[in-house]
Amino acid sequence: MLVKIKKSTKLQETLSGYLFVAPAVLILATFTFAPILYSIFLSFHKVRILGEIQYRFVEFKNFARIWSDERFWIALKNTAEYVLLVVPIQTALALVLAALLNAKIKGRKLFRVLLFLPTVTSSAVLVLIFIWIYNSNGLLNNFLAFLHLPTYNWLGDPNVALKSIAIMNIWSTAPFFMVIYLAALQDIPESLYEAARLDGASAIDQFFTITLPLLRPVTLFAVVVGIIGTFQLFDQSYIFSGGSGGPNNSTLTLVLLIYQYAFKNLEMGYASALALILALVILISTLIQRRFFQTEKL
Amino acid sequence: MYNPTQTENRLKILLYAILILYSIVTFIPFAWALSASFKPLDEIVRGGLNFIPQHFTWDNYQKIFTTSPLFGRWLLNSAFVAVCVMGLNLIFNSMAGYALARIKFPGNALLFSLVLAVLMIPGQVTLIPSFLILKKLGWLNTYQGLIVPTGINATFIFMMRQFFLSFPQELEEAAALDGLGRWETFWKIVMPLAKPALAAQAIFVFMSAWNSFLMPLMILSEPEMFTLPLGLNTFKGQYISYWNYIMAASMVFTLPALGVYAFFNRYFISGVTFTGTKG
Amino acid sequence: MKGISLIRAIFVLLLVFLTACGSTDSATVVKLSGWQSSPAEKQLLEGVLRDFEATHPSIKVKFEVITDQYMDAIKTRLIGDAAPDLFYLDALEAPLLMRSAVLEPLDPYIRPEDEVADFEPAFLKAFQNGGKTYGLPKDFSTLALFYNRDLFAQAAISDPPKTWEQFIADAQKLTRDPNNDGRPEQYGFGLIPELARNSFLLKALGRDLTNRQGYAIFAHRRSLKGLQSLVDLYRGTPNGKHSITRAAAVPSDVGASSGSEMLGQGKTAMVIEGSWAIPYFKETFPKLQFATAEIPTPGRKPGTMAYTVAYVMNKQSKHKQAAWEVLAYLTGKEGMEAWAKGGLVLPARRSVLTRLGYDTNPLYAPFVAGAKYATIWQGGETLSIINTHFNNQFLSALLGEQSLQQAMQKAQDSANREIKTSNY
Repeated sequence: MLVKIKKSTKLQETLSGYLFVAPAVLILATFTFAPILYSIFLSFHKVRILGEIQYRFVEFKNFARIWSDERFWIALKNTAEYVLLVVPIQTALALVLAALLNAKIKGRKLFRVLLFLPTVTSSAVLVLIFIWIYNSNGLLNNFLAFLHLPTYNWLGDPNVALKSIAIMNIWSTAPFFMVIYLAALQDIPESLYEAARLDGASAIDQFFTITLPLLRPVTLFAVVVGIIGTFQLFDQSYIFSGGSGGPNNSTLTLVLLIYQYAFKNLEMGYASALALILALVILISTLIQRRFFQTEKL
Repeated sequence: MYNPTQTENRLKILLYAILILYSIVTFIPFAWALSASFKPLDEIVRGGLNFIPQHFTWDNYQKIFTTSPLFGRWLLNSAFVAVCVMGLNLIFNSMAGYALARIKFPGNALLFSLVLAVLMIPGQVTLIPSFLILKKLGWLNTYQGLIVPTGINATFIFMMRQFFLSFPQELEEAAALDGLGRWETFWKIVMPLAKPALAAQAIFVFMSAWNSFLMPLMILSEPEMFTLPLGLNTFKGQYISYWNYIMAASMVFTLPALGVYAFFNRYFISGVTFTGTKG
Repeated sequence: MKGISLIRAIFVLLLVFLTACGSTDSATVVKLSGWQSSPAEKQLLEGVLRDFEATHPSIKVKFEVITDQYMDAIKTRLIGDAAPDLFYLDALEAPLLMRSAVLEPLDPYIRPEDEVADFEPAFLKAFQNGGKTYGLPKDFSTLALFYNRDLFAQAAISDPPKTWEQFIADAQKLTRDPNNDGRPEQYGFGLIPELARNSFLLKALGRDLTNRQGYAIFAHRRSLKGLQSLVDLYRGTPNGKHSITRAAAVPSDVGASSGSEMLGQGKTAMVIEGSWAIPYFKETFPKLQFATAEIPTPGRKPGTMAYTVAYVMNKQSKHKQAAWEVLAYLTGKEGMEAWAKGGLVLPARRSVLTRLGYDTNPLYAPFVAGAKYATIWQGGETLSIINTHFNNQFLSALLGEQSLQQAMQKAQDSANREIKTSNY
């Protein structure tokens, strides 16, 4: 009798599970899984896609070509550096800002809107403004010169160009994660803090002993999505380098490389192979970070 | 001598200082764009970073609304599409995220890995196949072609799952004892508790639908069907950027997104937490 | 079942929306896609299209403007059989599309009264392949020297430079650094460090960009002389035999987004730009006293770049005859004259060029003269690869990371390696 009930609830559980994911699976299967499968198919072919479509099976030649493609390695190095620079800073910044905005202070509504502005300002406007801020005679250099600090050719110098893009990107995506942290902070019961205060814990103690551990799932989300997003950096390096990835390949990113092959040369087979390798790189990095953070489950 | 109120005050001053400084950093570009939208083109391109227009003008706004008779239509299209996309995402992503976090069913782990895998493939290579699928369905130049494929977002399925993972389980257990099924529990208990997460999701889904450029560019060729970003594209030049129109148009473009943000912001009010979880 | 009913409501709403947009016109609709150099240009074209519709009541033309990522959209739609009937095609992209057999050859439609011989031959040739014509040019632009007359007068220079040596000398005279901080407030020359703007320098001095197989061959000492002088002008060569002071800037150095903006803002005294800059200066910098001249002769022969765009027809078009009539009207004498009289573009027909007086107008004459000796910005299908590598490395030479010879050799080698490895 008891076994029977258990069995039927288990079945019910399974059914409701499928019901809940059905719409998502249907849409993902049609518009995302199918194109990805097609890309996997393409990655083993030499394709002529414009005009009459022609596929020629080339085994692993597209992947072998990646191995000897020096620009792939440069792009990989640039992208990895960029990820390592941006993800920790933007996650930490988002967390700190969210914690500050969650404190009971006057005018926090206004601050919340102000801090969110970079996310809504259109990227065309941002790029224009940053070109002005970053140019040799621009705002930033004048400010640095005033403080007697060294000035840089922010967008022209290959040693700095990618870092300039990184700064701009941190500035414009931190508010995204800030909002998510802000939402997560609402779910932490006030009673926990009250108890801690009674024990004499300071605000900073509370942050590290209560807030941070409870935000773990959301931090994992922020880091993984951050890694994925930064590995797929495209817009800014495209705009700042006019699509070439220069000077001297210093702003060449993997997605920019993929884009060059997919749309400029219409080499869809090779572009797909590159995309799969990029996905693999992202997968490995998320696994590494999981080790690193000792998160119990993903 | 340790004085708690003094430290607290100092902390508060520090906190305000950080917030004000950082707000200035975030506000300046926006303020500059706002002021530029009231300047004639020659004043913008002359360089210089003056915030108060020397020749204040409404012309840019007037021009974008009058030179394109379709401007209002684009605004409407964008709003319609963004609201539909937001609605679908809020429901479907939350359902899927909840199932992945809470319900044990065969294939749960596999599905979650697939959702993550989707995020890892850059959109540049799936663009052409997606286009071919939409074409097969006959959905080019249609609203459903814009809405349905973006009705689900893997990022936010992931996000909702993470939120539901950190949710207290007691309430659901209580609901199960009361004889509520998964479906009722989800709608009556879980979703109301998830308001802050839903608000965050609503803001971002709305914004990404509102800003989306490349896919609409590919599938919409009828000017009547354009969304705002495509419409704005018609104010640009091939060699020369008409910053005055671009700035005015981007203000018209930004304000609804900011409005949506301000509206959903009310769900991030600290201290008002649900009761059942105390203790 | 809240979720389900919401979706149903959305779909009902969609249906209402869709049926409301359906048109019930019986005229043939020809779809045309293109970009614009300014909003005014779009209005001008729409005017011409209205004229056409008035005389051809059975045809309606729908014009769609795509400015960003135009070719990406067109290529994707061609792949999906959803491209417009007619569209703009830049000479640069023509070889790939002509070879892919997605364009309708126009030869069967062309009648004697279309006077194809009237088009500037070099421009027409850019859209021909294997004995077939795939597009009729609509307009073109060449590059010419724009200079600020006030700044020339201040530096006591009476005429624009004619030779390359004069140009280098004038650029230095026109550079001023009033506050002596080592960063000039006014540069002699505004440089655009792209192959699309500079490949005529290679040609005027030595050889072509590529050989017949499409491999890059530009990294030759002799052909690099022109580019070398630009690098010298940008970096300055204080210790050389012929010392040159730094006298050139690129747009991002001065916070501008284009060459014309640099000249307009007074940040530079000379730039090399296309005729599209003329209406821009008139509209945006009404006080600017500018003039144009042919580009100083870089070697023995004069040189400049030419960019041309044609109307082409989609092979999958369902209304080819109607599309042809639109195309023929737009590229015919009457249509082209209406299109080009606003001064926004230079017409591709020689007769229209003369009729509108562009060849005698002092501002436009240098552009018209340049058309005869210009290098058309077009190459084989390998050009996009070469272009990427060139731009990437030229910038690096400009910044002094490596010598120009090294940078160009690197660009050539890596481009050729890529061309070679893509053959399998």
